[in-house]
Amino acid sequence: MKKFTRIAIANRGEVAVRIIKACEEMGIETVLLHSEADIQTRAFRMATKTICIGPAPTAESYLNIEANINGALAGGAQAIHPGFGFLSENADFAEAVTKAGLTFIGPSADSIRSLGDKVHCKELAKKAGLPLVPGYQGEDQGVDNLISHAEKIGYPVIVKAAAGGGGRGMKLITKSADARELIESAQREAQSAFGSPKVFLEKYLDRAKHIEFQVFGDSSGLVQHFYDRECSVQRRHQKIIEEATSPSLSDELRRRMGEAACAIATMGKYKGAGTVEFLLQDGEFYLLEVNTRLQVEHPVTEEVLGVDLVKMQILTAQGDYLHDPKIVRSPRGHSIECRIYAENPFMGGVPSTGLLGHVEWPEGPGRRYEYGFDSGDTITPFYDPMIAKVIVWDESRPRAIQKMIRVLKDSVVFGVHTNIPYLIEILSHKEFVMGTMTTRFIETYFADALKEPEITETEKKIAAGALLQLRGGAATSTEAVSSSPWASFWRGI
Amino acid sequence: MEVKVRIDGVDHKAQAQVIKGTLWVHHNGRTFTMDAGSGRKSRKKSAGGSSDRINAPMPGKVTKLLLAPGSAVEAGQAVLVMEAMKMEYTLKADIAGTIDGIECAVGDQVVLGKTLVKIKPATSK
Repeated sequence: MKKFTRIAIANRGEVAVRIIKACEEMGIETVLLHSEADIQTRAFRMATKTICIGPAPTAESYLNIEANINGALAGGAQAIHPGFGFLSENADFAEAVTKAGLTFIGPSADSIRSLGDKVHCKELAKKAGLPLVPGYQGEDQGVDNLISHAEKIGYPVIVKAAAGGGGRGMKLITKSADARELIESAQREAQSAFGSPKVFLEKYLDRAKHIEFQVFGDSSGLVQHFYDRECSVQRRHQKIIEEATSPSLSDELRRRMGEAACAIATMGKYKGAGTVEFLLQDGEFYLLEVNTRLQVEHPVTEEVLGVDLVKMQILTAQGDYLHDPKIVRSPRGHSIECRIYAENPFMGGVPSTGLLGHVEWPEGPGRRYEYGFDSGDTITPFYDPMIAKVIVWDESRPRAIQKMIRVLKDSVVFGVHTNIPYLIEILSHKEFVMGTMTTRFIETYFADALKEPEITETEKKIAAGALLQLRGGAATSTEAVSSSPWASFWRGI
Repeated sequence: MEVKVRIDGVDHKAQAQVIKGTLWVHHNGRTFTMDAGSGRKSRKKSAGGSSDRINAPMPGKVTKLLLAPGSAVEAGQAVLVMEAMKMEYTLKADIAGTIDGIECAVGDQVVLGKTLVKIKPATSK
């Protein structure tokens, strides 16, 4: 058994903060391996030690295997936690980390190769008898070949990055005429986000739910599942809202899917935290992919089960975690996560970058915030737009929805626009409330940019009064009307 | 900072801050912005621009130019590809015509609202 005293973090943003917190609680020091663009972040301020591994572009920093390993060695770490995204599912990285004499906090390079590569994973699933969506997973990556296979499968067809996840390198082709442009675009995104242009094709299921199972292989290789999450609310194949457990599974279906998830993870000799994703349509489930890493939405599982998956990952990597056969895990209540994206929902979701002003996450029971930036930090255009996650827990799904809406309304982010108004609309939508949403929920009901409500007369007065107070015009409350800095403006309306 | 504004005898609590000339206000579950100078609704930075030009809808990198100067373009045709925050955005022409000028190069990091491509509208015959 090993005992880590210092762990390097090959990641950024809120997940780096999440890992630092777990390490702090375990008495382990941290080394943050960061790019030049990520000096003004919470993780940078919180880590025991920081090492700059390269400039802002991901290929030269967060995706640079050598720079990450050299940084970890220079920082005196014994292990590397890859977080999610970037190099977290890169088998070559896991292998190089081990070769350098460090421990990779995650599954072995072989497990990543057999399960994480979507093409190999499907071959394994075929052997295990798991149901698969029809598609093409061949080695011939010529665009003409891919187009001819797409025609054979029949549109709509989805093209995905073999090494990817999180919606990048993923495109939906609905007609022949778009095939070339979209396949090439997917290949470029795959190269830029994951370092490999390899893609595969799949028939697009048009009324499916996205249901996934958290699996965990302990130090002895015993795999258990930690129940399910539903992530059907997706835009451009990027998840927006996740919850545990799914409102759509019968006990019988949950049992069968859980068994299937454990079966494939066991075949892949899986150790640590992983996720087996399925599509569920008309009562039938199909294996989508296996994510060989911690998942963005892991907190909802933690909330309903009362576990800490990051600490479990670290213990497992130390050879120090065994599932306790006496513990029967059963989910309690309901948890929802909303991803806060820096984007303008009233302009079709274009990224919003800039200096963060006042930020406030309202405290209260059953609320949890994971965020990577504080007031005064800058949101740059180099990385993922997700700047925070809001997680709530309550006794039932309707109460959790109600709590989430309140929490989002009371959250304050100044300086960049966020998708908060969009999230509130989604949470209030009848289909979401009923729990019947499919992966086409967003494109069906929220295809257009949100319409920005007019600023009311009261709001205009509040704005004018606020401005006066900010300029030191009045110490406390202001009778805004007569002394308004915009009095002339008001006369004009 | 927290402010309290009295309107018709009723106190309204709000959070407010001016950042680079924009007033940000959070009141009653909603965040909105106004131009701190004029008091008008925060100026929408041009997303599409006028239809004979394609402007950057966000800061980001130009990753692909699909048409050369002088080539014909249809309304709705993809003209160039940008990347920001790890996502690709394909920018399309609003109108039919010919590519009049390209004011960016592949690899350029561009600012919000920058004109990237100019289109000479097709003359109706």
